[in-house]
Amino acid sequence: MNAIVIESAGKSKIRKRLAELNVPLLVLLSMIAGAGVLALYSVSEGNWNPYAFPHALRYLAALVVMIGIGITPLKFWLSVAYPGYFATLGLLLLVPLVGDTNMGAQRWLSLGGFQLQPSELMKVALVLALARYYHGLEFKQVSSITGLIPPLAMIGAPVGLVFLQPDLGTAILLGLSGVTVLLLAGISWRLVTIGIIAGVGGAIAGVQSGFIKAYQWERITAFLNPDADPLGANYHPNQSKIAIGSGGIDGKGYMEGTQSQLDFLPEMHTDFIFTIIGEEFGLYGALVLLGLYLAVFFTTLQIAMSAKSHFGRLLSFGIAITFVSYVLINTGMVMGLAPVVGVPLPLVSYGGTVMLSMMAGFGLVMSTWIYRNQDTLRTTGFGS
Amino acid sequence: MRVEPFDTSRHMEFTRRATLVSGGVTLLFGGVGYRLYDLQVRRHDEFRAQADENQFNTRLIVPLRGDIYDRYGEVIANNTPDFRVLVIPERTDDIRETMKRLASIMPLTDRQIQDVLDKAKRQRSFLPIQVAGNLDWDTYAAVNFHSTDIRGVVSEIGASRAYAEDAGAAFVVGYMGAATAEDIRRAREKAQTEEEADKIELLYRQPGFKIGKAGLERTLDERLQGTPGSMRVQVNAHGRVIESYTDDAVPPKQGEPVGLTIDKELQAKTLEILADDYGEYPDEALGEHPLSASAVVMDIVTGDVIVMASTPSFDPNVFSRGIEAKLWRELNESPLKPLLNKPVAGTYPPGSTFKLLTAIAAQEKGISPQKKHFCNGTFRFGGRDFTCWEKRGHGWLDMKGSIKHSCDVYYWNLATELDIDDIAGVAKRYGLGQTYDLGIGAEADGIVPSRAWKRAYYRNDPPNQTWFPGETLSVAIGQGAVTASPLQLAVMSARLATHKNVRPRLVRAMGADLLTQPVFEDLPGNPMHLKAVQEGMNAVVNEWGTAARSSLQPDYLMAGKTGTSQIVGLRRDPVTGRRLKNEEIPWQFRDHALFVAFAPYDNPRYACSVVVEHGGSGSRAAGPRARDIMRAVLDKDPSNYDKHKFWTGQRPETMDVASLGGTR
Repeated sequence: MNAIVIESAGKSKIRKRLAELNVPLLVLLSMIAGAGVLALYSVSEGNWNPYAFPHALRYLAALVVMIGIGITPLKFWLSVAYPGYFATLGLLLLVPLVGDTNMGAQRWLSLGGFQLQPSELMKVALVLALARYYHGLEFKQVSSITGLIPPLAMIGAPVGLVFLQPDLGTAILLGLSGVTVLLLAGISWRLVTIGIIAGVGGAIAGVQSGFIKAYQWERITAFLNPDADPLGANYHPNQSKIAIGSGGIDGKGYMEGTQSQLDFLPEMHTDFIFTIIGEEFGLYGALVLLGLYLAVFFTTLQIAMSAKSHFGRLLSFGIAITFVSYVLINTGMVMGLAPVVGVPLPLVSYGGTVMLSMMAGFGLVMSTWIYRNQDTLRTTGFGS
Repeated sequence: MRVEPFDTSRHMEFTRRATLVSGGVTLLFGGVGYRLYDLQVRRHDEFRAQADENQFNTRLIVPLRGDIYDRYGEVIANNTPDFRVLVIPERTDDIRETMKRLASIMPLTDRQIQDVLDKAKRQRSFLPIQVAGNLDWDTYAAVNFHSTDIRGVVSEIGASRAYAEDAGAAFVVGYMGAATAEDIRRAREKAQTEEEADKIELLYRQPGFKIGKAGLERTLDERLQGTPGSMRVQVNAHGRVIESYTDDAVPPKQGEPVGLTIDKELQAKTLEILADDYGEYPDEALGEHPLSASAVVMDIVTGDVIVMASTPSFDPNVFSRGIEAKLWRELNESPLKPLLNKPVAGTYPPGSTFKLLTAIAAQEKGISPQKKHFCNGTFRFGGRDFTCWEKRGHGWLDMKGSIKHSCDVYYWNLATELDIDDIAGVAKRYGLGQTYDLGIGAEADGIVPSRAWKRAYYRNDPPNQTWFPGETLSVAIGQGAVTASPLQLAVMSARLATHKNVRPRLVRAMGADLLTQPVFEDLPGNPMHLKAVQEGMNAVVNEWGTAARSSLQPDYLMAGKTGTSQIVGLRRDPVTGRRLKNEEIPWQFRDHALFVAFAPYDNPRYACSVVVEHGGSGSRAAGPRARDIMRAVLDKDPSNYDKHKFWTGQRPETMDVASLGGTR
């Protein structure tokens, strides 16, 4: 009944919803994107082009999308969760058929002039679908076999497809956020333990059978032994460690980073953007950025806790987990703590799809916030 | 609103789990924060050093090579800017791709590309490899512009050696070449410390760096080389220099200049005269004008070698740039021997010029120069008839006359009274059979036959070790085993003119120091013995002797002696038995033509020797050339301090190539 009221809402309703936006979240996200603009301006040696200006523009566009999603009732998102998931899965299936190959991996779909990475959209779609699923599942069913098979399939299908592209980083991220939603939904610890054992076993089997590509394995093992092959697999992490380490406590100064400005780190504007912050702004700058990310996480956590609907809770927290997984894996790989798997730093790295999918995700979080008091979303049964 | 019971429980579970996961996330952020602290605070110094190592390089600055000047300070060898392109293998992931892209912006042969790839496999990857040098400005500019986006490519301006083209410098100063592994090994051995050895190796491996390979460039290599400098530069990941720090740079020190005794102008003139057509006979295989000749002109008082010319020659600039195999083969295989430094390394039977020495040996044996011998054209010895070059005979001749007419019979008569070791002693005293260490290497000893020489020569063949009197007859007229180089013949002529122990020198100044002018002591022996010889030499030229057509009268009185040395025995037509003339046989079997001279006769200052290989006869091919050379020398009088401004060890001007050097 409520939904009908909202759907017929006029302009005054929209203004009312806009007033209810979670301002701290907006401010924090904008600050992070601002840090990205700053870093990208430095990467291109003090030029707005080719990165900094488009980045700012994309953020503003994504912000509009986010707010649009945010003021749309949560019930609507509940209703499109499954269709959206299957549509994205369809796009993922299309990639190997019509996608573009870029640096040895097929990840992109060209959609009339602009390029789309379905695997990025899937991160949001998966969380959405899983939240939808558990929202409709009785708690006692959570750890049952029948209750477990659908979500595992929902996670497994996109993870498998993305892995085959091959995009190890995104596959890991997808799996990680999916499993975390499972965890939050309350599957038993026994199953968690079995899952971990199965995961490790699967990884070993994957390597043994050659299912994981040689260059992926090289990158994974390289991070464990940073002194080997300094011009090959370890070039990037070694150089970025030097960049960050040489930045010291207060950094070398804006646009003064020798490692970044002298091209010792190629492709600086994407996955390795954190190094320029570490090098030029030092420990202070890097900690401030990490603090912003953590603040976004806790703001989202607070939103999740405030939501009355299980859907909203799982959805918001799932998005938050996806978001910090990006941050942790990216900073980890940049600082030699994790293998180089091609994960960008959200809102800071240059790249449209990640920005859009992440902001769309936060749009859902925003919707959860605005409609936090609605708990009648509950439906029963799979797909109803 | 109804809250289902299971809703409450799953909410509670969610809260618990979310708290747990949040705690985990916070811990992980803490881990990242700790890693930041670890990298940026604890290990900051280590990474700072690595970043500096990345961005700062110490560049070795190759010193300019010392210039080489002639006696008046005219440049014979100096440095010229060299535009070149290098590849640093370490700075590219794929050197093949780099070379492919480079080939698209500049002309490169497959061979050049292969050479670079081969070299990249052999040497350490941070050492630059020269792809091409001596580029013209347009090519260089194009590469310089486009190479910025090809990884590993560096273009720079260096210095390369340049030789005056008309100075016939090849044999005097030598030439340069890239250091071979053997050169580097030897240079390392000379170093005192391991560090110094590494520095030398680094210098030797600099792209475009050349060392002296022959001549003075080789012997004076260390002094000419100079001392390398160093400079700190900031480079980016592609090795491109972003900034050079000139404040704490150690400037390179140019090698010391070297001043030669050579007169560049006269050298060029001599080369022209040597190469000119003086009516030589053509040869079917070698064409109209086959010519292989050399000349040496010395200052008798100072020993300065004013001219040391050899033709045909080659352009040392080509060698310094890196010679192509085809040209090398041509030079190597030519019968005219363009690679042989004939003035010092060519040895020839001195022929009749040697009679001057036999005449002195005879006087020292007590034979009076007034004693006459009769020449009827033949001389019988040991049951064999020896024929004088003048078959009709010379009649009665004293010593002066014998020189004037170059009578063989006269010297055969002397030879019967002389011991070979007496002749050998005189020959050595007058400059044959020894080297003078001019500093250009390649000097040949020549052969002064004696009993001891023959024993040593046939040490594996005892029956042949005995000296036969018949051999003395051959040596007395400069045939047989005796050989001498043009330099030795010039020294002989200088000593015959002065009775002083004249020794040649090629370098008069090194750095800012003029070398002390040598003072020549008197030769042992009676100076009066030279009178008949000198008068004879004067008669050869000025009293209608064998070189009458080489007279410089009325301007100058030049004394000289012709020589025509056989290199094969009697040449007869196999059918008729008629003796064949030079023009009737192939070039390489013809007689060598020689001439030695000094002038002015009454106050000797310049001594000269000319050898025209297979030139036919001394009076035809060598004498007139010596005449023209000596006229040019006497006209200029290159040793006259009043007439000429001599180089005093100052550099006339320096070219500052070093500041152009380094990478873009």
